[in-house]
Amino acid sequence: MDYLEKEILILGCGNILFGDDGFGPEVIEYLQKNYEIPSNVYVCNTGLSVREILFNVVLSEKKPKKIIIVDAVDLGKSAGSTFQLDVDEMPEIKCDDFSMHQVPTSNLLKELKNYCRVDVKIVVSQVQHIPEEVSLGLSSVMRDAIPVACEMILNEIN
Amino acid sequence: MGKQIIIQPVSRIEGHAKVTIQLDDSGNVADTRVNVVELRGFEKFCIGRPVEELPRIVTSICGVCPWSHHLASAKANDAVFGVEPAPAGKKLRDLCNSIAYTEEHILHFFFLSGPDFVMGPDADYSVRNVFGIAQANPEIGKKVVRNRHLGTQMLDIISGKSIHPVTAVPGGFSKPLTQKEKDKVLPMAEEVLEFAKFSIAFAKENIFPKYLDTVKVLGVINTGFMGTVSEDGALNVYDGKLRLMKPDGSFTDFAYDQYTDFIAERVEEWSYLKFPYAKAWGEGFSMDTANPKGIYRTNSLARINVADKMATPLAQKEFEEFRSNFGRPAQLTLLYHWARLIELLYNAEHAVELLNDPEITSRETRVPVTPRAARGVGCVEAPRGTLIHDYETDDKGLITNLNLIVGTTHNNAPINMSVNQAAKLLIKDGKYDQGILNRVEMAIRAYDPCLSCATHNLDGRLPVRIDILDADGNLINTIQN
Repeated sequence: MDYLEKEILILGCGNILFGDDGFGPEVIEYLQKNYEIPSNVYVCNTGLSVREILFNVVLSEKKPKKIIIVDAVDLGKSAGSTFQLDVDEMPEIKCDDFSMHQVPTSNLLKELKNYCRVDVKIVVSQVQHIPEEVSLGLSSVMRDAIPVACEMILNEIN
Repeated sequence: MGKQIIIQPVSRIEGHAKVTIQLDDSGNVADTRVNVVELRGFEKFCIGRPVEELPRIVTSICGVCPWSHHLASAKANDAVFGVEPAPAGKKLRDLCNSIAYTEEHILHFFFLSGPDFVMGPDADYSVRNVFGIAQANPEIGKKVVRNRHLGTQMLDIISGKSIHPVTAVPGGFSKPLTQKEKDKVLPMAEEVLEFAKFSIAFAKENIFPKYLDTVKVLGVINTGFMGTVSEDGALNVYDGKLRLMKPDGSFTDFAYDQYTDFIAERVEEWSYLKFPYAKAWGEGFSMDTANPKGIYRTNSLARINVADKMATPLAQKEFEEFRSNFGRPAQLTLLYHWARLIELLYNAEHAVELLNDPEITSRETRVPVTPRAARGVGCVEAPRGTLIHDYETDDKGLITNLNLIVGTTHNNAPINMSVNQAAKLLIKDGKYDQGILNRVEMAIRAYDPCLSCATHNLDGRLPVRIDILDADGNLINTIQN
């Protein structure tokens, strides 16, 4: 599927090997299983590879109107709370390392929003725990947050 | 005790990396250390799992080289099951590997390391990035995006999934390539080949000559090398035998499953990441830049050094020119970039060659496998270096033991040594400035380690901070962008 041809991209970021860090991919799987995705929307579990897509989108002449990033964060809120972050609202200190993942996402998202005029939405959920070592599966509070995140995403694409 | 300088990337990207530079009382470099955090607990996680699940699981290890892990794991599976994959399946794996290489090498040259050279290492950090390249050379920017995107599209067509591939299976490849798909992919591969030709010509004309003085001094160390070659000695990034070359250019070839006879992994108390070294040389391990022992490098420069020749005509021409300019083995660290472009050309040619092979559309892409108790070692050349997957199974085919050595790990000691050399070159009598950040980063980036983009943010701000601590650990100065 050619994501450069789509109007909306929904990208789930995270590593399923590290517990709650797998929130983004799990949300994508739930969306694909339980909802009808409109044909102008590209939905992808990008795992740790979201950069592969964002690099190309930033420099491409064809751009989507909207990108929705689904991610896990540790911002000291109540575990499982799900909310939206604005790229510009991110505190400077968190600008580059807010993501739990191995991707320079925030810089690319800022570029997309501020210079490429793409509407960037970031749907995140507060993690309960990220294990030090490889361990599969979300905590129950994060699991409960999946449908909440899906509703937020649907509101955005509708 | 003198001052301690810590260069610590702010962002968490492909691994966390921290550079610590210890000065002596005269303000000169006493010691340096590069720390990279390693994936922990993966081996334990895999024990008891069916071995055939691993090619799908390992793609979650790394967002940068999922194809390399996927293929090394599938090859380890072949060995565990004791089968030779179906010829067409093997060719499809080889094809995907070469396409993934072109994507990765274009990314590295133009997006990650390119800005240092295209914009210059002393250019303002606000323009010394991929956006700077795109603004200064909009046509190149467009071509880079188009060709990387072609790679993604080709992998999607051939395998169904470019990001988390699942099609390499024990015994071959699960999805045959139809004639219609081949006809769609071939012109794309030919276009990428044209871009590969352009890239190396562009670099040779506009970039390498300008920075040859820097290439000759920065991060230079003297080591051995390791990489994969075919039976005839040609560079091969998918399959063949391992070749371990000493610094004097003499070498020994061995099969993948013999790697433990030639390589050992050393543990240092200050690093999570192990330090592989050439135990077969019988000289032990030392990262002393003046007298290194047991140190070998992997990745592009290593592969070009160990190869006797290239298997494709255009890459062979470039290989001959490179060897005539820099000898064998070429030791200058920044030559990794040049070697990477020769590999880009080789892989682009190889992909076209494979697509023109009538067998690539054969319907027979896999052979059946039966579980057994066995050990199997699978190896591919990942863009970042030799990638080894070593599995043992019980008679039900469940994993009982597992060891992975990834490209960045092989280069752990050399990266430390190159940073040490660069720091000694750049810090004299306690004097240093922000330029040291750029150049230490350049020395690290040459190896394209999995922390490479951690040291180069896209908004232009270097994600690096130098903290200067006194002997008691108190912060006395900070330099950062």
